[in-house]
Amino acid sequence: MREMLLNLSEKQCPVDGLLRYVKGHRCLDCGKCVFGYEGAAQLELTLTDITMKKSRSGDLAQLEKLCRMMVEQSLCGDGTELGRTALAVFGQYAGAFSEHVAKRACQAGVCRSFVTYHILADRCVGCGECLDACEDDAILGKKKFIHVIDQDECTQCGRCLDTCEEEAIVKAGPVKPRCPAKPIPCKR
Amino acid sequence: MIHLTIDGQAVQAREGQSLLHTALDAGIYIPHLCDHPDLEAKGGCRLCSVTVNGGETPVPACMTLAEEGMTVEIRSEAAEAVRRTSMELMLATHPAECTGCPKFGKCELQSLYQYMGVNGQDWRQKSRPVPTDEKNPLITHLFTRCIRCGRCIRACQDKRGVKVLEYVRDAGGVHAGIPGGKRLAEAGCRFCGACIEVCPTGSIVDAVGLMEKYPSYADNVVPCRAECPAHIDIPAYIRAVREGRPGDAHAIIREKVPFPLVLGHICNHLCETGCKRTSLNDPLGIRNLKRFAVEHDAGQAWKDKGFHKPRTGKRVAVIGSGPCGLTAAYYLNKLGHDVTVLEKRPQLGGPMTSGIPAYRLPLEGVMAEIQWILDSGVKAETNREVTSAAALRKEYDAVLVAVGVSKGRKLPLPGAEFQQVYTAMDVLADSRAGADLSYLGKTVCVIGGGSVGYDAARSLVRQGMTVHLACLEQADRILADKEDQEEGAQEGIHLLPGRSFEAIEGTPDRVTGLRVHTVLSSTYDRATGKVTEVAEEGSQTVIPCDSVIFATGQHTGLSSYESFGIELNGRGYPAVEGFNTSVDGIFAAGDAITGISFVIKAIQQGREVASVIDRYLGGDGEIDETLAERSAEPRIGRVEGFAALPRVEQELRDVKQRLSGGADVYRTYSCKEAECESGRCLQCDLRLQLQRVKLWNEYGGDNG
Repeated sequence: MREMLLNLSEKQCPVDGLLRYVKGHRCLDCGKCVFGYEGAAQLELTLTDITMKKSRSGDLAQLEKLCRMMVEQSLCGDGTELGRTALAVFGQYAGAFSEHVAKRACQAGVCRSFVTYHILADRCVGCGECLDACEDDAILGKKKFIHVIDQDECTQCGRCLDTCEEEAIVKAGPVKPRCPAKPIPCKR
Repeated sequence: MIHLTIDGQAVQAREGQSLLHTALDAGIYIPHLCDHPDLEAKGGCRLCSVTVNGGETPVPACMTLAEEGMTVEIRSEAAEAVRRTSMELMLATHPAECTGCPKFGKCELQSLYQYMGVNGQDWRQKSRPVPTDEKNPLITHLFTRCIRCGRCIRACQDKRGVKVLEYVRDAGGVHAGIPGGKRLAEAGCRFCGACIEVCPTGSIVDAVGLMEKYPSYADNVVPCRAECPAHIDIPAYIRAVREGRPGDAHAIIREKVPFPLVLGHICNHLCETGCKRTSLNDPLGIRNLKRFAVEHDAGQAWKDKGFHKPRTGKRVAVIGSGPCGLTAAYYLNKLGHDVTVLEKRPQLGGPMTSGIPAYRLPLEGVMAEIQWILDSGVKAETNREVTSAAALRKEYDAVLVAVGVSKGRKLPLPGAEFQQVYTAMDVLADSRAGADLSYLGKTVCVIGGGSVGYDAARSLVRQGMTVHLACLEQADRILADKEDQEEGAQEGIHLLPGRSFEAIEGTPDRVTGLRVHTVLSSTYDRATGKVTEVAEEGSQTVIPCDSVIFATGQHTGLSSYESFGIELNGRGYPAVEGFNTSVDGIFAAGDAITGISFVIKAIQQGREVASVIDRYLGGDGEIDETLAERSAEPRIGRVEGFAALPRVEQELRDVKQRLSGGADVYRTYSCKEAECESGRCLQCDLRLQLQRVKLWNEYGGDNG
């Protein structure tokens, strides 16, 4: 598992990967020592916030300090291992972590809060399928008009992506495609 | 001894002692939380982090043994960082509002974070809510406040060997608890309370109200002992019975009372009303175990123990040889004074030999206990009625008036002065003396439904008489205890509850009946002593009988100030202030000042007045003594089905057997029964063996 964490592909997010690792860690089932149990709990809470675009500026430094203490002060090898693993992931993917915190972006497009959905104007046929699929009423438009996603309403659930037969809907990371601001008549 | 330095201070440690306890013993405070002096250290909280010999990595002081020449630094930067981080991490997930917590002000966590001046606000906050569980008897769980220090678990698993508490994980996270969501009773809990005692926070606490009855903590923890007027060490003697040491049990009882066997038969056992096991099912049969212990003490080892102070040459007279008078005499003699008991009856013992019937209290047992008091050096004169305490005072250095309430009181009914109208006290005395009671006739009517009324009625039923027992109280409000009522009914007493008494019919030398009517309800006004009743119309009847016996209260029989020489209050009792009467050197105690009460209460009065008199005579009044060593095994282990173990009752002899002779109504527990019953004890006192963790402000020096 630890090996996998340190050999992630471009499509895998190290913050998300580490969070999943923490969530499944034995330390959260044990509770016998503060640095193992509460340390794992803080890792889980803080990493979750980072993937949810809710990080604070000091988070990374604080987690590093915490993990060093976990290595040193945990009651058994489990807490030590968790601290070591987290430190290794921080070190190897320092760029990705600071990107999440500073630039509010997930390069791999895994962390849903950083991903936006867009409808490409040159592909949309104005069929209305995606409007029906969106449970949050976040898609504007009507028949024969290019549909537009209201980013304020969108919850990044991804349902529209699967309904569009024209493959007009795309996910975007830090680089966003150009789209109309409001529905305009279809060219096609 | 190992020599080392902690924060620059030279200290000594025992071989195998941890750095934490080396420091604490030397009065040097190191913060600590998961450590408990009575439990094995685990090192989970790291609040006791220190650095050793200038090392960079802090180590937990609780897990590090003291070594010769060590240099320990408590407040090094690295140690402080670990300590503060650990505390912050704990606080980040601990409920923030301390004021609503039952442990507020007594919480170790609260004390520690105040001492350290930290909070958890730099970290992500999270609550781990666990529903408060108040459904278990005696113990309330508020695991939202659990900090996972594991002290309760170590206490339950290792110290007690009961193995109920464990770390459990549920939706809220990990906390101490009962695996499988079981109730404490089904999990095998023995309700010893060790978990409560060691919990540093408000996570495991005594159920609401349990710790508020008495001012002292120990009394609240061990309510049986607190309820006993003489404060007999009940858990200790029950333990001795269970461990097959009835002699020790008897000795422990003897530490507080010189009449263990009497009490084993007739005590009103307030202890049992305090017994915490009542919250599980029924209280321990404490009184019955006392009787068992006394009857099975073959060695009587207590006789060679206890204090005997040098003779003082002071002379004390005790008027009355009831439980109060004899108890006072016993202790005053041990305190070195020459004591003479003056008894107006031919026999010593007061109500123990002339009131309480033989079917409840065998005479031989009482006489043996009185004999020991005489053997110990108390002198006694029987058939010696004292008419003036003041006159007696001239011959003695101190006088104790312990005359009890031996005179029966009659209601002012027409005919109450007839020859065939008696008081229960007179009849009971005659009955106990084995006198011929045929003068009462074949059918008698007892007035009064208290225990004295039942004593008289049940005594006379045993003489083959037809006995009516009439009282004002309705059937569900009868004053005598349940056993008296049930057993009396079995023996053939004809109960007439809810009756008001009009007159005794007949002539001065021959009673023909008691005229009564039925009352639907009645109320008694304590302030005025007036009874208001609602009578049933047309219910007037005459109960035919040959004699009427009043069991409607008693008084001292003391007549007036002039003749007895001490001031009496309006009710004819000696006026006292802290046992002192109006005359210097004359004291009064027992029923003679409290009004009719129970033997155990009279004994306690005897103990107290003995101390007071001793101090008056120049002594220190100290009468406490230890007659048996205590040993309590803290590891009580598991007992399957412990919470449901049923109370064992003494075997009640069948009615025929009871009526045919003076034999005791009950059979003493068998050894097996005593073992079973004593095994039901929760051993609440074990909790007091556990040390309380001292907080930082209880250490000297510059710890603040």
